[in-house]
Amino acid sequence: LAELLDSCNNEQLVFVSNYISPRLKRDFLKELPIEISLHILSFINDPKTLSRASCVSKFWHTLLNDEFTWKNLCVRHHYRRRSSVSLSSPPSPTASESSDLSSNKRSSHFSYKDHFRRRYIVESNWKNGGRTLVTHISTDVGVVTSLQMCRNYIVVGMDNKKIHVFGAFDGKHVKTLTGHEGGVWALQYIDEVLVSGGCDRDVRVWDINTGQCKHVLHGHTSTVRSLKMKDKRIAVSGSRDTLLRVWDIQEGILLHLLAGHEASVRCMEIHGDLVVSGSYDCTARVWDLTTGQCLHVLHGHYSQIYSIAFDGERIITGSLDSTARVWSPTSGQCLGILQGHTSLVGQIQLKDTTLVTGGSDGAIRIWDLETYQCIHRMAAHDNSVTCLQFDNKRIVSGGNDGHVKLWDIQTGTSIRELTSAGNAVWRLAFNDTKAVILLQREGKTIMEVLDFEADS
Amino acid sequence: MSASEAKKITLKSCDDIEFKVDIRVASRSILLKNMIEDVGETDQSIPLPNVNERVLKKVLEWCEHHKDDPQPAIEDSDTRRRNTEIDDWNKKFLEVEQDMLFEIILAANYLDIKQLLDIGCKTVANMIKGKTPEQIRETFNIQNDFTPEEEEQIRKENEWAEDR
Repeated sequence: LAELLDSCNNEQLVFVSNYISPRLKRDFLKELPIEISLHILSFINDPKTLSRASCVSKFWHTLLNDEFTWKNLCVRHHYRRRSSVSLSSPPSPTASESSDLSSNKRSSHFSYKDHFRRRYIVESNWKNGGRTLVTHISTDVGVVTSLQMCRNYIVVGMDNKKIHVFGAFDGKHVKTLTGHEGGVWALQYIDEVLVSGGCDRDVRVWDINTGQCKHVLHGHTSTVRSLKMKDKRIAVSGSRDTLLRVWDIQEGILLHLLAGHEASVRCMEIHGDLVVSGSYDCTARVWDLTTGQCLHVLHGHYSQIYSIAFDGERIITGSLDSTARVWSPTSGQCLGILQGHTSLVGQIQLKDTTLVTGGSDGAIRIWDLETYQCIHRMAAHDNSVTCLQFDNKRIVSGGNDGHVKLWDIQTGTSIRELTSAGNAVWRLAFNDTKAVILLQREGKTIMEVLDFEADS
Repeated sequence: MSASEAKKITLKSCDDIEFKVDIRVASRSILLKNMIEDVGETDQSIPLPNVNERVLKKVLEWCEHHKDDPQPAIEDSDTRRRNTEIDDWNKKFLEVEQDMLFEIILAANYLDIKQLLDIGCKTVANMIKGKTPEQIRETFNIQNDFTPEEEEQIRKENEWAEDR
């Protein structure tokens, strides 16, 4: 055979080569045992290659429809089977049930490929697609002070005394709750129970479904500046009168008066039976909700505390002294000082060991609470960061510069602006597939609901 | 070196060629390792009915090179899959005809040599990555057995994954 080939000219050799080389090729996926073929596919992480591979032949198409491959890919891309639990800021007890509906509907014939496809499209919509579901332009001018989006409703509190309620699915206006005689500055809802407070010093308890005001709770002698619910029965309000009040909101009665702060109570967070409050007196306090006792006074900040986060393990406070501090709720000790911001730390969100802070210096910082190191610093806005929220994929931030920006939380890089800029962004909130943005644009108060859902 | 590590065993390929190898080398194969542990010392050759001389030689070359590697910890399968890197020695080792690569993968699977199986599979995966369906067909000499209508339909089904 060698002699024969030696006697060939180049043209003949090319022919021989072209004749032979296809025969030396193997259709690996078809000829190998199926478990090895699937093992090969498990080394491919990008859906583009997998999708293209499924167009190769009938056999490849069948193989590429195997659930194993797509299940792996879901794991690799952190696409949990139940649409991932959305974190909301301010954190809300109902967030965990906010986005399970769509997956429940499908579970009868669940397919990992379909699931991956949907999640992948949602991801890519966040990055470069999506659509504006609704835009509401308020006829009466007002500053938006508070926002919460959960399972059923988007609730917006305004300094013009009104509370607007919108549907969480379609973004349509449902009703407006009126009754407060001053600006609304704080609110929270769980299911149908909404609690609100503001300049008129009253705390109001509403049934969102009926729009009825169930209780008007008097007591505070100055503006209610912060308000948190433990559950549908217990809520705590914090006021410029330096006091916190623990209410039974079902019965409409005061349970405890928490006295100790020497200046306005600016922020508050509840976890279990503990409530932590941050005050303009430069301290934070840890209180027992059931007894009304003050357990710890957290001394350390040199200036007013504006923001607080608490997950049961750690308390984080953000201050005008341009630092954030980490505290132990059990000992009351300061565990760490997070330095880097050059101005007020007004925005804080905590999830496990990840902390994200936003400052009046326009910067966003991502911290690792195991090492107390700043992992990423982003020069996010030309002016104060007015709102931010993150989940395990992304951060969305809004600033006094009117911009709404989307960031990759792993890399700290900017992905894009989510909407056209306004004069100032008041508040924002997002879940897996939707984002709500409240901003002032051309002098008007505007609410935009953006939708990143895959069209099915 | 203790005496037992210098011990050799004899392997016999399906085409009746015998290889005398260090137990340490042969033990890269979990199949052989277990066999040696079960049988104890033996002068009899171990027949490998699924592997021919050409492939066994190549596989033993791999085992020889990796004989001092720490035995892989029992990693969860996802950690194995995440790591898609192939080092230079292995890359060069697997620069072979598709037919040989195919046989190496089968042999590694049969002999239960997980690392070799993984790099073999990764090599094939890398041959697929980033290619269009037509390029994949060409790479592996696969006939397009779709009708034009089917092909169009399947292309549409999979459009979502293309960059937008």
